[in-house]
Amino acid sequence: MKKLFAVTLGILTAFGGFVDIGDLVANAVVGSRFGLSLVWVVVVGIVGICLFAEMSGRIAAVSQRPVFDLVRERLGPRAGLVNLGASFFINALTLAAEIGGASLALELATGVNYLLWVPLVALVAWLVMWRVKFETMERIFGLMGLGLVVFLVALWKLGPDWGELAHQLTRPPQDEGLPTYFYYAIALLGGAMTPYEVFFFSSGGVEERWTSKDLVTERANVFVGFPLGGLLSIGIAACAATLFMPVEAVPDSLGQMVLPVAAGLGKVALGVVILGVFAATFGATLETALSSGYSLSQYFGWQWGKYVQPARAARFHVVVLAVTIVATALILTTIDPIMVTEYSLVFSAAALPLTYLPVLMIANDPDYMGDKVNGRFSNALGMVYMVLLLVVAVAAVPLMLATKAGQ
Amino acid sequence: MTEHARTLHARLHLLDRQVASTDEDRLICKVDDLEVRTGDGPFPYVTAILSGPLALGPRIGGVAGWLMAEVDRLFRDDPSGEPYRIAMGRVTEIGSAVRVAGQPRDLALERWLARNVVGRIPGAPRPEHEEDAATEPEALEAQEVAEGRARREDGETLRMSTLLARVVRDDSGNVVGNVVDVRLVQDGPLLDGVQLAFRLAGFVVARRRAGQLFGYERAHRDGHPALVAAVVRRLHGEIRYADWDEVASLGDGEVRLRVPWERLRMLDDL
Repeated sequence: MKKLFAVTLGILTAFGGFVDIGDLVANAVVGSRFGLSLVWVVVVGIVGICLFAEMSGRIAAVSQRPVFDLVRERLGPRAGLVNLGASFFINALTLAAEIGGASLALELATGVNYLLWVPLVALVAWLVMWRVKFETMERIFGLMGLGLVVFLVALWKLGPDWGELAHQLTRPPQDEGLPTYFYYAIALLGGAMTPYEVFFFSSGGVEERWTSKDLVTERANVFVGFPLGGLLSIGIAACAATLFMPVEAVPDSLGQMVLPVAAGLGKVALGVVILGVFAATFGATLETALSSGYSLSQYFGWQWGKYVQPARAARFHVVVLAVTIVATALILTTIDPIMVTEYSLVFSAAALPLTYLPVLMIANDPDYMGDKVNGRFSNALGMVYMVLLLVVAVAAVPLMLATKAGQ
Repeated sequence: MTEHARTLHARLHLLDRQVASTDEDRLICKVDDLEVRTGDGPFPYVTAILSGPLALGPRIGGVAGWLMAEVDRLFRDDPSGEPYRIAMGRVTEIGSAVRVAGQPRDLALERWLARNVVGRIPGAPRPEHEEDAATEPEALEAQEVAEGRARREDGETLRMSTLLARVVRDDSGNVVGNVVDVRLVQDGPLLDGVQLAFRLAGFVVARRRAGQLFGYERAHRDGHPALVAAVVRRLHGEIRYADWDEVASLGDGEVRLRVPWERLRMLDDL
């Protein structure tokens, strides 16, 4: 019974914690411009993140080695350092976007300009990382993020033409060019498969002291929680497709992105969804900031993690603090957080093979995994994704330049 | 030589692994490099794990490596220029992490930040007295460093990383390939009276130089993603193994063989 409770709680946390500012922005924009014609990408992304997270979580449980240990170990110090630089940069960019997102949610709730909320959000986030226990932290914001489920209810209440939505699945709109279509496909993939999610998931496994016995929990989180989160992403896109596409509007602020909820369910639901957005982005703020510390510490072999006293992991905590300050400063320059999010998504997608390859290799290494190595199915799928991610990585930045970031 | 001596590959199993303490659950450093003793007995053998920016910096090289070493210098109490060192005799386990006995001191930057930054933020327990109680005295670290320096000044040691990527020439002086990994066998001299040292048993040599082998040179093992394995093997061309008996000398930053390339065993045959 206790086990069942733990598994359920884990699933709900993974579910509520799945959507972050990246998923929200990408799905709302794509839904309004392309209808549901890019839903297949979300599905591909969900399968990919399940595969990727399951492997890295399994490695963490069996060998206690988180992702960046593996990167350094398999790629060596030089390629590992390049990888670290890229991952750290993307993490910091995503962190800035999440801080911006949480502040925008507070602006929606209070009417006070988001820039005034930015320092407060950053300070509270840092205090949480400094003092609150890892599991408590993860649970609270994961569960609060379930507020986003009202998107699904709102969709039902909006009463869309389901036949028309189904029709959109296979029919991209004619007025959008193919490069733009694929550019947004990459952004969506970057939203579903963000590298920090994997850093955080595997390091979290070590923080929570997973062993081989916890593989059931780990798999339940991944195989049930993540797809539910993906369903939520699709719901957000469908809401946008229903409300914005007929009038040819593209939501370019957080307020407009949650508008379908207000239109479908009224004020109370709007309050719930704003709380959900805040929890999701604030939770992701913690995850990205910690992931910056995780990746750097794991590359250099420093003591990291919240399972030891801060003074025992001084370098780790200094990195977390420093990256939070830098990201806050970036958002305070009044740069548009939504735009930062869009760029971070594309870079995330481009950087995926860097971390994916070492994980795929170690998941096959019996020195690490004993009899818990990848099966044939995981490997076959793993190779398909390896090729796919390489194609995406090569195409991402040229497409961004060619389409002027999806204009 | 004992038949069951443990065999490892330096790059695949040791370099870049996490070092953790056995006595307490603490991460200490990475195996940034290995100290190899050459002037003692018939085989070179591994004497210590080297770590910190002064070990990693030279491996990375360029501006990044230099910067790393310079930053480290700012936070060090002693300007010895020797990297952080853990004697190989203290290693208790080599697995997904390398575990060492005792409670080695933290590296300089960690100590400095714990004292001057993190220790001053409200809510952090003061680390100082706790550190003294939990970890070994400074003297022991100094002893390690001094030993490392003495060995180096004798000209008897080299770093494992300088063996990797060396050009290999055959008996007639033609370049035949590059070292991609170093095979170690645990039947060397007794270290600190507790365990046998890993001696250098031979070199894995690849025709073409194409980065790391990721372990794919080891005989066909089940479960490797076939495509990755195929690509890696393709990139490296033919891979052979040069036993220490087939090596003439290690001079001039090269490895000189006694025999022609064709006489070396194929790696798959091992």
